[in-house]
Amino acid sequence: MSMNDPIARGLASGWNVVDASKLTENRTVEADVVIIGTGAGGGTTAEILSKQGLSVILVEEGGLYYQKDFKMDEQTAYATLYQEGMSRTTADGAISILQGRCVGGSTTVNWTSSFRTPEQTLNYWSQKFGLEGLAPDVMAPWFQGREERHNMAPWATPPNLNNDILRQGCDTLGYSWKTIPRNVNGCWNSGYCGVGCPTNAKLGSLMTTIPGALDNQAQMFHGLRAERLVMKQDRIDHLEASAMSSDGVTPSGVTVTLKASHFVVAASAIGSPGLLLRSDLPDPHNRVGKRSFIHPVSATVARMSAKVDPFYGAPQSIYSDEFNFKNGNDGPIGYKLEVPPLHPGMAAGVVPGHGQQQRDNLGQLPWLQSVIALLRDGFHPESPGGTVSLRDDGSPVLDYPMTDYLWDGIRQSYLDMAEIQFAAGADAVQAVHMDSAWHTSWKKAKAAINELPMRSHRARIFTAHQMGGCGMGSNPEESVVNGFGEHHHVANLSVHDASIFPTSIGANPQLSVYALAARNSVRLAQKLTAKG
Amino acid sequence: MPDQKTHSAENSPQLSRRSFLKTGVGGTLFLGTVSLTAGLSGCATAPAGRISAVESRMNASYQFQFLSKDDIALFEALLPALFAGALPEDPNKRQFEIAATIERVDQGIVQFGAPNQKELRKLFDLLNFAPTRITLARVWSDWPSVTTKEADAFLNRWRNSRLGLLNNGYIALSKIANVAFYGHENQWHLTGYPGPPAWMVDALPQFKNA
Repeated sequence: MSMNDPIARGLASGWNVVDASKLTENRTVEADVVIIGTGAGGGTTAEILSKQGLSVILVEEGGLYYQKDFKMDEQTAYATLYQEGMSRTTADGAISILQGRCVGGSTTVNWTSSFRTPEQTLNYWSQKFGLEGLAPDVMAPWFQGREERHNMAPWATPPNLNNDILRQGCDTLGYSWKTIPRNVNGCWNSGYCGVGCPTNAKLGSLMTTIPGALDNQAQMFHGLRAERLVMKQDRIDHLEASAMSSDGVTPSGVTVTLKASHFVVAASAIGSPGLLLRSDLPDPHNRVGKRSFIHPVSATVARMSAKVDPFYGAPQSIYSDEFNFKNGNDGPIGYKLEVPPLHPGMAAGVVPGHGQQQRDNLGQLPWLQSVIALLRDGFHPESPGGTVSLRDDGSPVLDYPMTDYLWDGIRQSYLDMAEIQFAAGADAVQAVHMDSAWHTSWKKAKAAINELPMRSHRARIFTAHQMGGCGMGSNPEESVVNGFGEHHHVANLSVHDASIFPTSIGANPQLSVYALAARNSVRLAQKLTAKG
Repeated sequence: MPDQKTHSAENSPQLSRRSFLKTGVGGTLFLGTVSLTAGLSGCATAPAGRISAVESRMNASYQFQFLSKDDIALFEALLPALFAGALPEDPNKRQFEIAATIERVDQGIVQFGAPNQKELRKLFDLLNFAPTRITLARVWSDWPSVTTKEADAFLNRWRNSRLGLLNNGYIALSKIANVAFYGHENQWHLTGYPGPPAWMVDALPQFKNA
């Protein structure tokens, strides 16, 4: 393996990394801080704390995969890098959940879109949740710091045709659009971000903060599932964790006990509430797992006369916020428009179908183009979010009921996306809905979309952005953590991931998680080093 | 009074039963009962392990970790309908692609983890247990005797059903099979996907041997 790979080089240089599936005996380890999760939040926290001289242990349930494993193959990637082997859904099976489960978390498999938290969102949080400390001008330096750390900048290369069609449609209709900032360095513009960056160009946690922490003597266990935080009097004493066996999903029976003076939970908006619930931590107002948001995602597919090759090129480079904030927070729901890449396995899986019809649809893949709408949930009373609870075996599951308010937004998003695709010259457009046919004109599409039944399992809804469930706020009766991610009721516990968002973001969340985690970790480091 | 009328219609036994089946909880309880009954009545739910090549046309070196012999028979019946127009005409090649896809379905499910495996076990038991196969799937003969036309009719019934639970069963079956089939290199040509760019494969260290 090439020693140009930072992970291979780091491992060779003696990083303290343990593959828990190789452990044959139970053990106990101790550090100043135990961090659960290695994604955007956990990685950032680990790097900042370890640079301040604190001893840190990182715990990751997924495996350590890096360049040697990233072979641009969908089947391997979905099985190894995604939660539940890419089969994660909401409780009733109606919404597919795309979420990373590997070192680097979702930042290892995301499409690199890097947006600051919209000012409208920060202002809303300040008004509704008493989070004045997160006002846009206060947060600006934190966003800037993380943009530098992860080399985020608007994509300078021309967009691939898949993305350019969104631009063309918006231009024709007079809708605003912009270029997406991406966290890459030396990107080959190949299109394989979603299956693990094969060239190490994507500067997610795996290429930045994780090596940064390990270079500063942090220790990392991967293939280790955090089972339970155990309290002694009013503080967390230790974490009980189970080693996975070599298949990566079945516990081997070996346990690891991790002791620390402070614990940071950064296990995602499904994993973090799940861990807090399993641990039965103080939750006097029954807030853990409540107000979980997902940016419900709808999609339309267009058939173009020119070859789009939607599997090649930077997956996301153009977006439109034309419909995101225009109704404010009291009107119909807003949504951000983006473009997804289409590879054959993903396309065949997300658009259910069978037989000759499915074969005919997929046979046109090189000419297909798709637009997605990310609904900004959580801002309106009729969008209260979902609930994370525990299944019989202790694993977390998200129940997310769709409301009429959300369905109205899904229908309107189909209409706006179809109109944009026709404006960009589409020959035909189909909503990603079990009852939608191909429509050959905007007029026909409009009439048909207005008649589509808006029901779970008929409309295909997805999410790649899980947020909330350990919401932050100034009032402990309505939130789990304060504006610094500090648990309201347990002194030595912080939460540093997207689970602390009190609503959805209205943009891809990675930079929001990086920035909040950085801000809260600097404060945490000051507190912990002052004590020592 | 219109309000009262609407109210009583919602509580009619027929509608309540339908609502019950549509809910996740109802669906889970219902599928759980089926699974238990199927187990008690002797349906083969143990992983098939290694199957001899003669018996199954499968690669005898593959060890099934989740799918039972009944599940394999189920997929052998469904795949020709799921991939109509996409499977090779040549009988040997066709058998090979069906067998290889079922092996990849098994590999994929192993990574799903215990909770989703449990749900799939219930679904497969429902389809393999004669009383529920007949009442819910309306498939009269056992799967090895089901024609492709009958399998296709079953898939369409579940796809178009008013019951979310059955739609969900359709989506689960088609999604698992579609990813295992169209996502694999052998089928890329059907979608016009050329695979990873050759210039990248040539340039990247992970594709070079040692």
